[in-house]
Amino acid sequence: MESGIFHSTYQKDMALRHTPIEKARLALIILFLLVFPFFADNYWLNLANTIGVVAIGAIGLNILTGFTGQISLGQGAFMAVGAYVAALMSIHWGAPMWLTIPAGAISTALIGAIFGIPSLRLKGLYLAIATLAAQEIIIWVITHWDAVTGGVDALNTKNYLWFGGANHYFSEFQFYWIILALAALTTMATVNIFRTRVGRAFIAIRDQDIAAEVMGIDLFKYKMLAFATSSFFVGLTGALIAHWRQIVTWERFTIEVSIFYLAVIIIGGLGSVSGSIYGAIFMVLLPAILNNIGKALSGVIPSMDILIPFVQQAVFGLVIILFLIFEPEGIAKMWKNIRDYFRLWPFSY
Amino acid sequence: MKKYFLFAALLVVVALALAACGGGGGSEGPIKIGALFDLTGPTADVGTPYANGEKGFVEWLNANGGVNGRKVELVGQDYAYKVDQAEQLYSQYVNQDKVVAFLGWGTGDTEALRGKIAQDKIPFMSASYSINLASPNEAPYNFLVGTTYSDQMVIALKWVLEDAQKKGVDPKVVVFHHDSPFGKSPVPDGQKFADENGIAYTNIAMPKGATDLTPQLTQAQDFGVNYVVIQNVSSGAALLLKNAKNLGMTDNVQFICLNWCADELFIKLAEGASDGVLGVMPFTSDFSVPGAQAPKKFLESKGDSLDNQGLHYVQGWWTAAAMVEGIKRTLDAKKDINDGANIKATLEAMKDYSTGDVTAPISFSSTDHRGNDKAKIHQVQGGKWVPITDFMQSRIPLQ
Repeated sequence: MESGIFHSTYQKDMALRHTPIEKARLALIILFLLVFPFFADNYWLNLANTIGVVAIGAIGLNILTGFTGQISLGQGAFMAVGAYVAALMSIHWGAPMWLTIPAGAISTALIGAIFGIPSLRLKGLYLAIATLAAQEIIIWVITHWDAVTGGVDALNTKNYLWFGGANHYFSEFQFYWIILALAALTTMATVNIFRTRVGRAFIAIRDQDIAAEVMGIDLFKYKMLAFATSSFFVGLTGALIAHWRQIVTWERFTIEVSIFYLAVIIIGGLGSVSGSIYGAIFMVLLPAILNNIGKALSGVIPSMDILIPFVQQAVFGLVIILFLIFEPEGIAKMWKNIRDYFRLWPFSY
Repeated sequence: MKKYFLFAALLVVVALALAACGGGGGSEGPIKIGALFDLTGPTADVGTPYANGEKGFVEWLNANGGVNGRKVELVGQDYAYKVDQAEQLYSQYVNQDKVVAFLGWGTGDTEALRGKIAQDKIPFMSASYSINLASPNEAPYNFLVGTTYSDQMVIALKWVLEDAQKKGVDPKVVVFHHDSPFGKSPVPDGQKFADENGIAYTNIAMPKGATDLTPQLTQAQDFGVNYVVIQNVSSGAALLLKNAKNLGMTDNVQFICLNWCADELFIKLAEGASDGVLGVMPFTSDFSVPGAQAPKKFLESKGDSLDNQGLHYVQGWWTAAAMVEGIKRTLDAKKDINDGANIKATLEAMKDYSTGDVTAPISFSSTDHRGNDKAKIHQVQGGKWVPITDFMQSRIPLQ
């Protein structure tokens, strides 16, 4: 019987997984992710791919908002930058995907760092408004710079594997592996960032920026770095969406998207990488589940049919509110509580 | 901790209920058609009667024997005009419900699904009449029942040319359009026609969420406008007309709505500013035509009326009818409807399908998926749309 986990060396303290059970669980998850696509139909693959894409974007936002404490309402627009860069490179230059996706991510990192400059003087709600301006400015530029972005019209992204190749149509099954690989890389990279000096600096800035500065952390440098790192992954999401859906329009990257991603990390758990993934799973599956319930119920009481879509939306809001009341620190904390309960059973207090 | 168990138990119950609901299918069951409705989103005002029309047609059809004795099932839900919701529902209906054809709604979702439906071979008809969807090279599985926005624009400009000649004025046209792919769709084709015919032509975007369009109207006045073409939904167009009336513009400028603002809702929302406005209408608002009788009787049997639902009901009804006709003819030819290529081939061979004068007869071809290239110009007279021309025609070349 355990009373807790105690570390006697620094190495153990820094380890990502402390117990054999945690290692076994990771192995099981990996096994599931590798086997899942062979049994799932296209609908489930589509949902899984959506979760993967949202998870990458949520991890990106969590680096900035959850770990560094800088709120951002510009998520949607930053995704748009990644998506448009990737789409335009493929359309105009015939650039292959392995070039356009990193290029989308890197250019978003640059743009993100520029829009992060106000964070030096602004905090909290004021920064939220500044990033809201970023959202509006970027979308305005995209919809009005017709010569480059095609204005409000949709862009049809081409998926090239090599310069001068033919446009390749990926099935959901094939794209699953691309998204899975990038989501895994994102997760590993982010988890490890927070075991380095840079990551600790981000957390110090979140907890108390003045104290962090006194300790010798260059606020300007690290805030810019946080914006750039976060935007890199956000841009990666955008570029992935561009190639996965093969169509890019500004309508996909509105302020609603920014708020959706904030909801994902708040529900999943601020300042937690696994929380971002839980949040993505929850926020993608909940509407799908509600749709299915709505579909199953339609026709049961015909006179209620017109109300179902409205009820669906109300329930979506209600579930989120209930979740936050039950566990304001998100699903990540909920999972930790459950784990601790069983580990310390029967003496869990 | 107990609260978590309760929560987990609830989730399990929901999951089991869902699992129990799945399954089904089989070749001699109902013919399934997927559908996307906007019942709660930004275009719900016109999306709801259109969806009701589609549902009403299927219910009416099933009560009248279905397709060769087989029932038709419309598998459709609200997607609130959200593109990602549309993609998710589409994926579910095609992969799990095995729908054989699809009825969409807006320009955003139709464009987003264009590539997917070509891969999945799912014939698709929606209420978006963007000319981008008409070319079989670009969008092989999209079919348009309504006249394209571009052709509607050319029809409007043809009328302007005639009218300006009669009045002895130089036509100066300003296009007011919704700031979206839907709104911009006919602008370049209108420009081309205007250049060829010596019409002064410019376009002004109507910003989303605008509550006052006076600045944009003043800009049009500086241009010396005498004809305005509106490509927007009813609410935006009604706002424009109210502002124009306040500026005194409605007396010397002729306003012309393309199909998404030429409806009953526009007259209601414009509150008296709509008198004399013209509408390019591929679907008639005259409910005395033979094609409007079945929907009329069906609605009356439900205690509703066609005047209450309006012309978008008839539009949805006949769009669903055209798709079902394609499926029926495929079955009549003893071909497999589960292969979308068969339905596509049947639709492409469809010539002069009559909608009972709701629209001009519908014909598709393998090189052009525009089923309809005609529309009548209507005018608001005494709070009603009244046709003032016979069918006018335009079929601009596809790119």
